[in-house]
Amino acid sequence: MLSKKIAEQVLQVALRSGGDFAELFYEDTLRSVLAMNDACLEDALLSRAHGAGIRVYKELSSVYVHTNDTSPRGLIAAAGRAADAIGDLRLCVNVHLTGSIPANAHPYRQLPLDIPGQARREILRAAHASAKGVSPLIAHVRAKLLCWDSSVLIANSQGLFVPDRRVYTRLAVEAVAQRECENQTGFEGPGALMGFELFRDRVDPEAFARIAAERAVTMLNAQPCPAGFMPVVIDTGFGGVIFHEACGHSLEAASVAFGNSEFAGKLGQRIASPLVTAIDDGTLPNEWGSSNIDDEGNPTTRLVLIEKGILKNYMVDRLNGRRMNMPSTGSGRRQNYAFAPTSRMRNTFIAPGEDREEEILSSMGDGLYAKSMGGGSVNPVTGEFNFAVAEGYLVRDGKIDRPVRGATLIGKGAEILTRIDRVGREMRFGQGMCGASSGSIPTNVGQPMIRVTGITVGGR
Amino acid sequence: MHQMEFVERLLERAREAGLAMCEVYCASGSSFEVSIFQGEIVHYSSADSAGLTLRALVNDKMGYASTQALDEEAIDLLIDAVRENAELIESEDRQFLFGGGSEYAEISNYNAQLDALDVSKKIALAREMEKRALEADPRIQQVGDCVLITQSSEIAIANTQGLHLSHRCNLIGGYLSPVAKEGDKVNTGFAMFYTSDPNQIDLTACVQRAVREAVDGLNAQSIPSGEYRVLLSGLCMADLLSTFSGVFSAEQAQKGLSLFKDREGAKVAAECVTLVDDPHLPASPSSTPFDDEGVPTFRKNVLDRGVLTTLLHNLKTAHKAGVKTTANASKAGYSAPVDVAPSNFLLVPGQRSLSQMLEALGEGIYITDLQGHHSGANPVSGDFSLSAKGYLVRAGKIAQAVQQITVAGNFFELLEKIEALGSDLQSSFPGSSTFFSPSVLIQNLSVAGL
Repeated sequence: MLSKKIAEQVLQVALRSGGDFAELFYEDTLRSVLAMNDACLEDALLSRAHGAGIRVYKELSSVYVHTNDTSPRGLIAAAGRAADAIGDLRLCVNVHLTGSIPANAHPYRQLPLDIPGQARREILRAAHASAKGVSPLIAHVRAKLLCWDSSVLIANSQGLFVPDRRVYTRLAVEAVAQRECENQTGFEGPGALMGFELFRDRVDPEAFARIAAERAVTMLNAQPCPAGFMPVVIDTGFGGVIFHEACGHSLEAASVAFGNSEFAGKLGQRIASPLVTAIDDGTLPNEWGSSNIDDEGNPTTRLVLIEKGILKNYMVDRLNGRRMNMPSTGSGRRQNYAFAPTSRMRNTFIAPGEDREEEILSSMGDGLYAKSMGGGSVNPVTGEFNFAVAEGYLVRDGKIDRPVRGATLIGKGAEILTRIDRVGREMRFGQGMCGASSGSIPTNVGQPMIRVTGITVGGR
Repeated sequence: MHQMEFVERLLERAREAGLAMCEVYCASGSSFEVSIFQGEIVHYSSADSAGLTLRALVNDKMGYASTQALDEEAIDLLIDAVRENAELIESEDRQFLFGGGSEYAEISNYNAQLDALDVSKKIALAREMEKRALEADPRIQQVGDCVLITQSSEIAIANTQGLHLSHRCNLIGGYLSPVAKEGDKVNTGFAMFYTSDPNQIDLTACVQRAVREAVDGLNAQSIPSGEYRVLLSGLCMADLLSTFSGVFSAEQAQKGLSLFKDREGAKVAAECVTLVDDPHLPASPSSTPFDDEGVPTFRKNVLDRGVLTTLLHNLKTAHKAGVKTTANASKAGYSAPVDVAPSNFLLVPGQRSLSQMLEALGEGIYITDLQGHHSGANPVSGDFSLSAKGYLVRAGKIAQAVQQITVAGNFFELLEKIEALGSDLQSSFPGSSTFFSPSVLIQNLSVAGL
């Protein structure tokens, strides 16, 4: 790891041309991927990502330089390039760093890379066998085990010098059900900010593989979803992607600071149904989107975004915070040293409400029950979103009628939020990778079962 | 350690450790990006990067390990991990290291003038792009993203079988997303450009496309759900081709994940459809003299007047299928295993201009924007249901802007339902693969709207 003295020199060089803030992000990450296709382990990869990113601000301008050359010479050269880009002064700046080590709120017990490869392979074998056992229609099973061990060090010209170590473990299972020349897939990807004990404490690989396989079979037997505008019930867990896409992205400072958000300038105003309280929490122990500090070195926080329909907070990183005149909320995140951080979600969820799940369905009349959601995307400026329903059912007169495939939900975030008329009692998370300008990062989405009075459902 | 020195040292140490068959794949390069908001630089990024992968055959199994740190510790890590990983592999597929081809094409997609381009000129270009967008129409109130990029990259492969190759390329590109406002209506547009020749930059065309999309969409409305005749813009079709390109991969087919498995020789698309994989296409950053296994590349028809002539192969899949490789070995990044991907994947254009294609459409919709490919499209089944924008077309003329709809169909059915292709070739933003298509007239697709 990097010494404090070198970090000080690097930051001093970064500030020599008149910058008013400088930051060094240093990273060494080991990633292992084991991939099993059907019963055979097909790929085994280990990669070591290593590098550093240097950021300099001058008022609202920011420069980012990154490099794999982390020798003192390499870092100082990179800092010099950043300084030259931000101004042409020649100043002598003094930076003094004070080290601190945050308490680890996300303990890991078994480093995944300390577990013998054969034992890790057994997790995939168990998942494969379980999925295969669901039905003879399951033609293929792809299972992956992803383990990351990431050490970062963040130093900045305000004196910060703080390390963090993040250990992630995730299983991803995709089952393909096949009949003649037709394929349907089911996916589950449980993971956490913890070591290999994930499979002892939280995740039963066989159970998740079974769910993925059952979904594929259900969808193979499904009819195409009819198109139209209808009430939609979205189930707990990964269903939270609706809030993530439709609203979460528009509450990130990266959009709000530039006025590029439908929720800009609306703090304190009603933006959602009074049933909706939404939270973004980076502190939840060992959750997929948690960390001790964000990627700018600030402690992560629990942030109420919407309270009973009223907009309370945005998710703010340091640079956009300057533009908005707001402090960081510990929301600055990045995929790795090759990305400048920006405001991102962590574990984002709609808080539990008081409605009974059975009543939510039985009182909906005719509509769509989205039991499991796929991914989606959003235009934060207009709030237009789209996302895919991975497992959906048509509901007739409050009763589940039949499975439907190929459904897509589209709409505008602000409209959907006001149309939520039921919020269930049980909140669960689903794990995802969220992509934006600072790369692809682990985020949890979550919610109880919710009902929206009307959404445009795309189908055939 | 310097990269050259590291590679030599690594191969030497690997030999000492008993790895007689191994290969080093190096990717290095530099990139620059600047983004402008209201004339000011809001984001500026500059980077040098390098990473390399060691792969080795141990008892006929291929182990992989990669690093960005080039130190002694990394050499030990790579050699140990390659061996460990190889021992975990159970797949019986035969793996190969290629010893080199007799002839490699000359590909020039590197422009020294571009690498020498002054940073201040790049910043000025980005500012100019924003300025022109703001001046183009009073309803453009700001430009959300206004970004200029340059990239320069080099791939080098060396192995114990005598292979020793390298190729470099560079490009300059940019994109913008103007925001149009009128009353309480807001809409965004998007357009991008790229070239390897700094003298060939056409900002005007790019800005016009983005502004037009933003402004036209202000008065867009949804339309009733139903089946519509559809003209897909070249860019939309190129994106679909990208999303579904895996169906042409022999790797996917052999795993049973492509419905084109065992369909070579069958008619799978309309007669007007010819799809080419052309790794020698001039001026494309995806053009390359050798694939990611070092095999010399060549041009081939994948669909020839509707008939599937070949899938795309690497050495492993070709051996398994008993054919010759099509030199489409590809790695999704330096640390990824060797897979299969197209180089420049191009739907061969027809004769008709865009306005003639609109006439041929007659009554229907002209789709200019599709979103949600990573979730709303399933490459295994071919099903897609995507959020769309475009125009309602009546009597062959654009009648009204359309948004808040989805377009759904199946890629395999779509290929059979193509009636005509325009002459207006467009391309996706280049990566290791680039996708090209003209506007494409399709009999019908399902639209969900009102």
